[in-house]
Amino acid sequence: MPMPAMAGWIARRVLLAALLVVGASSAALMLTRLAPGDISGQLGPFAKADEVAALRARFDLDRPAPMQWALWAGRAARFDFGTSFLYNRPVGEMVGQAAVNTAILATAALFLATVVGLSLGVLTGYGGGAVPAVIRAASLLLVSLPPLLMSLLLVFVAARTGWFPAGGMSSASAVDLAWGDWLADVLRHLPLPTLALALPLAATLERLQSQAIAEVLRQPFLVAAAARGVGAERALWRHAWPASLRPICAVYGMMIGALLSGSFVVEYITAWPGLGRLMYEALRARDIYLVAGCAATGAVFLAIGTLLGDVLLAALDPRVREGLEA
Amino acid sequence: MVLLLVGGFRLWRSSGTSGKRSATESVQRGGELIGSLRVEPRTFNRIVSRDQGTDLLNTLLQGRLVRINRATFELEPWLAESWESTPDGLTHTLHLKPGVRWSDGQPFTSADVLFSLQTAEREKASVLASALVSGGKPVDVSAPDPNTVVLVFAAPSGPGLRVLDQIPMLPRHKLQTAVAAGEFGAAWNTKTPPADVVGTGPFVLREYQPGQRVVLDRNPHYWRTAPDGAALPYLDRIVLEIVPDQNAELLRLQSGATDLTQDALRPEDYVSMRRLQERGVVKLVELGVAEADALWFCLKPEVKGKDPRFAFVQRKEFRQAISHAVDREAFAQTVFLGEAVPVWGPVPPGNRQWFSPNLPRYPFDVTRAKALLKEIGLEDRNGNGIVEDAAGTEARFSLITQRGLGWSERGTTVLREAVAAVGIAFDVAPLEYGAMIERMLACNYDAIFMRPLTTDMDPAGNLDFWLSSGSAHYWNLQQATPATDWERQLDALTSEQAATLDQERRHAIFNDAQRLLAENLPAIHFAAPRTYGAHSARLVGVVPGVQRPPILWNADSLSVSGPRQRP
Repeated sequence: MPMPAMAGWIARRVLLAALLVVGASSAALMLTRLAPGDISGQLGPFAKADEVAALRARFDLDRPAPMQWALWAGRAARFDFGTSFLYNRPVGEMVGQAAVNTAILATAALFLATVVGLSLGVLTGYGGGAVPAVIRAASLLLVSLPPLLMSLLLVFVAARTGWFPAGGMSSASAVDLAWGDWLADVLRHLPLPTLALALPLAATLERLQSQAIAEVLRQPFLVAAAARGVGAERALWRHAWPASLRPICAVYGMMIGALLSGSFVVEYITAWPGLGRLMYEALRARDIYLVAGCAATGAVFLAIGTLLGDVLLAALDPRVREGLEA
Repeated sequence: MVLLLVGGFRLWRSSGTSGKRSATESVQRGGELIGSLRVEPRTFNRIVSRDQGTDLLNTLLQGRLVRINRATFELEPWLAESWESTPDGLTHTLHLKPGVRWSDGQPFTSADVLFSLQTAEREKASVLASALVSGGKPVDVSAPDPNTVVLVFAAPSGPGLRVLDQIPMLPRHKLQTAVAAGEFGAAWNTKTPPADVVGTGPFVLREYQPGQRVVLDRNPHYWRTAPDGAALPYLDRIVLEIVPDQNAELLRLQSGATDLTQDALRPEDYVSMRRLQERGVVKLVELGVAEADALWFCLKPEVKGKDPRFAFVQRKEFRQAISHAVDREAFAQTVFLGEAVPVWGPVPPGNRQWFSPNLPRYPFDVTRAKALLKEIGLEDRNGNGIVEDAAGTEARFSLITQRGLGWSERGTTVLREAVAAVGIAFDVAPLEYGAMIERMLACNYDAIFMRPLTTDMDPAGNLDFWLSSGSAHYWNLQQATPATDWERQLDALTSEQAATLDQERRHAIFNDAQRLLAENLPAIHFAAPRTYGAHSARLVGVVPGVQRPPILWNADSLSVSGPRQRP
């Protein structure tokens, strides 16, 4: 694709992403506002009326919903996303830190899921026998396991065996560690949430890759390549595999976005201080500005993920590039 | 024989739970205790927030003038080592323990006490102001010398100095600028540098990482010593890991990653914990019998007066019939899996000082329940299994409860079945907590089943429940004037006991108040759970209490021995 066309396409996607962020955060704010119950429930069932009124006023809940949205949007335009009631801290700061933590986890999980899922997918799609059958069965099992169960199962395994820490992002003694040791400590805590996130994702990728490669192997261009004397291994890796990646790229962007916007179940169970867990706690407490901040960040990540997926797809599939040029 | 006697004496001494260490427990100085927190602290300033996380940290970081022992409920000298009270109970002269220092080394004096009490009384952001009101006026505080504080109550107060257990002492030298600038509400927020959060508690704040943990180190200037003269606290550090999920919290305890859980266990966790106790991995401690559950109807005439069902809901016979319809023994077995005791009033047996065993009871008796309903004109006239009044209004109600709580959802199921047997229909609707509270405050419900928690064992600390004008008088909140004659009587009894100094007389008056409530049954109580806490086998010096925090209230006397055990 010529550079100007690509730049225009990216600019349009960024504009759409901005609209997505505004829409998602505004919708989150309004839905939290309109749902039964509000933040004053956190004061307990028997809070005094003046305490409840003061809290509602502090969070603009004493104003009509559109007015509250306008006030929030005005402040957000100046990068003031309000204060969290739960944490009594600025939302921007809370969300920023949680987003970094989620990005660390998501990157590790995505890397693991991609390497394992795609390589096993090629294996099961290309060959037959007992090993691929076992992998297929394991994938089906992992895809079917709810994230809650998977997370609890892994925490249980960690608790019983001590192979890796049973949760959290760092050890209790991390406060005394030097930077390098702290990093090593964080890496030691990564396997549990990473596996909880990556295993179902790897299984999904394995299934997609397996079906895609099996389908591509039946294509005439590979029969022709074989007739021209191209070896089986070269045909697989140089011709079949790149062609099989198209359907995977189509869903890969969504996967990246979903991972980056936080998996609240995994983060909650494994006590990983990420965006998903923050969003869940904010929703439970009706911490309205924190909900909106988390939704906005999640939407940003989703937009980045889908953009990356689309760029990958365009790079791999000439038909997509031609469509964009047109 | 002598050996047997000595052995028997030792056994007797070690069997008590009065705070003395058992013969097998040995104190080891130093070490780290890792606990868990399920909710984040919102601030480090207890005067402006009463949330659970802040309250726990306040217990560990700040001292008080006096302390209520969570195991015995007795008032103990703390930063005030002694006091005298005038015979009319209005004036109390407190003598501060000499030589006490803040964690930054500054001396603790009566000026700090004056500052703390006046700030708690006068600051707009204070949530503790009502604790320091007597006879409608704030308690007058003065400091004649650096080691003496005089408190003058405007009216006699039954709890007297017990109210001071709630008020943390704050360092004047650190916070007076914020107070003068009108910024006390934001002082000591969770972004405050840990070194600025100064206290007289056993620990100091080392680090707070939102979403991860709070780290507390030993306060080098802590003023308490053990009975043998050893400096307290024994522990060098307490780490509170933030683990929001209770299942994950328990798994961490089981794996040896933590030493104790934040709160009481759920009934469904008892069996697995007992197995681990048998293997020596954890210890279960009985915390006591906690607050009872309650079923109540909205009895606010202004809201429900036009509802045709209100005619019979407001009759005490109707509520007594429901009480008769429930087999409390079976209820305790099913809902709390056997770990509960039947109750007949809001004060549970765990509150040993104020529990009355002589309340009117409503034994399980379906025939009696049906007879009571018939007395007020409710019969199954059309044979559909639900009783109606003469106008055909059915005794059918929606019953809301909190979603996701095992005992609560089991409880509503049992109640629905029980009342169906006498012709009352409950349509159960579990709601998310916030939605339930919103409906409760607006009286937008028929009936609620939940377990309201009390803030104080002393009834004078729970006036919001006992007075008709109170914000916790949950069946009819914040009445301008008492809606019923019996509530007028209850108000009079409550006010009288709160202003009575003679403790025996207070108990007699409060027993009358409990009896009045049990006769009129605005809320029906069925069972109070027997609660347990769990901690690692290496934790020594645990004296459990039924109120929060159940184990860490006594943190300065806890110690750890040996490494953590893996199952």
